[in-house]
Amino acid sequence: MTEETPFRHRSIWHMVLAPVVWSLHFASVYAITAIDCAKTGTLDTAQLAIAALTLIALVLIAVITWRSWRQWDYLGDYTYVHDKPTVKHRREFLGHAGFLLGVVSVIGVIFVAMPALFIGSCQ
Amino acid sequence: MKRRAAICVLPFLLTACAGEQSVLDPAGRDAQVLSDLFWVMLAGAVVLWLFVNGLIFYVTRIAPRPLGRRAAEALIIGGGVVFPTIVLGALLIYALSEMPNQRASGEGLEVRVMAHQYWWRVEYWPDGASEPVISANEIRLPTGQRSEITLNAERVIHSFWIPALGGKTDLIPGRQTRMSLEPVRAGQFRGQCAEFCGESHAYMAFGAVTMPPEEFAAWLEAEAAPAKPPEGNEATRGAALFLSEGCGACHAVRGTAASGAVGPDLTHLASRRTLAAGILPMEKAALRDWVSDPARFKPGVEMPGFDHLTDAELEALASYLMGLT
Ligand code: HEC
Ligand SMILES: [Cu+2]
Repeated sequence: MTEETPFRHRSIWHMVLAPVVWSLHFASVYAITAIDCAKTGTLDTAQLAIAALTLIALVLIAVITWRSWRQWDYLGDYTYVHDKPTVKHRREFLGHAGFLLGVVSVIGVIFVAMPALFIGSCQ
Repeated sequence: MKRRAAICVLPFLLTACAGEQSVLDPAGRDAQVLSDLFWVMLAGAVVLWLFVNGLIFYVTRIAPRPLGRRAAEALIIGGGVVFPTIVLGALLIYALSEMPNQRASGEGLEVRVMAHQYWWRVEYWPDGASEPVISANEIRLPTGQRSEITLNAERVIHSFWIPALGGKTDLIPGRQTRMSLEPVRAGQFRGQCAEFCGESHAYMAFGAVTMPPEEFAAWLEAEAAPAKPPEGNEATRGAALFLSEGCGACHAVRGTAASGAVGPDLTHLASRRTLAAGILPMEKAALRDWVSDPARFKPGVEMPGFDHLTDAELEALASYLMGLT
């Protein structure tokens, strides 16, 4: 794991990045729906925009999750306990937590977007 | 019916599943969907519960031994992530796929409902009508067709809900909302305001009656007619009192001088099943008590008490009102 940037070893931001993307996606989906309904009374534009935003969010989260997975380095040593005050443990802990948050965020983004697939009206 | 009631009673030891105001005893197309949804969701929840607790029981009581890494990972990832995500996803898709139908638009009859504190003004607009048939505190709908319901509120938010017929929709001051209902069988039901709207919110209910289309048409024609003149001495005295006491400033009785619009239209009061928005029986004694002191039944009510009237006068008023069929 020598190729890793020093930034990610210490950054709590990288760990919470996936839920941040999820929350931005969530807020935008709600805002876009409200605006489209208020301005046009239909959801045609909003549905397209939500599809695009969902795709972007999923790609971003996938990248973050993959990077976290690498940082956790589970397949390297099969540890999921990181309780020592060492650089390695800190790095793997942040990777592990970031990975799990990424998985939850994927599910969250899909569930948030799903109503737009079924509900085609502003009623 | 019997079987459904038995299904309800057994697991919960409840006797209240069937009845006028039950989501589990549906009499409308939308309520049927919602009740199916409830049972499917319940089944899904039970499956998840049994699975998770069964697993806990198994690994802690029946076979408490250390698992290999692979088995443990399969259990946690499979049972903790994949399985619940799939079950919840399937339930979500099922629920979402039903939602557009709950918003279908009505055809033919339109019923406009205006929520006041704490009663309902109801207007029936049959197809092509230029003016409505005005009523209050009771909703009547024909079976076998989807009627459009338009909702408005006077001062605060209320919510319109007939559990046996369908879902609920809020009534919002200054903004029109809508829903539609398609009763599938004739019967008598009960609706309830489902959004806190003030002191007497809990006493803001209404009767709901579904009837075959021909019967409904006959009822609507009768409802459109002016009030019957009073019969007998007592009722005639009551009619005079109604005007001299100023009831007519708030209440309309079509065909008389009373044309107020502050309170419910009373033209065919006695043909309703309940008095004062679903809280009292439509009986002479209840009417007398109501007119003498409405706040006793509904705190904060916007009708003054008439307890200065003598018993004989109250009796006469009640007699007149009971004749308004
Ligand atoms: C200041 C206006 C006002 C006056 C005056 C008034 N009422 Fe009312 N009345 C109301 C309102 C408002 C309601 C609805 C109360 C509720 O259910 O919250 C009501 C409800 C009723 C109801 C029940 C209606 C229903 O649909 O079940 C009856 C019956 C009634 N009034 C009779 C009378 C009689 C008789 C008088 C005269 C002695 C009278 N009212 C005077 C405002 C008034
Ligand atoms: Cu209310």
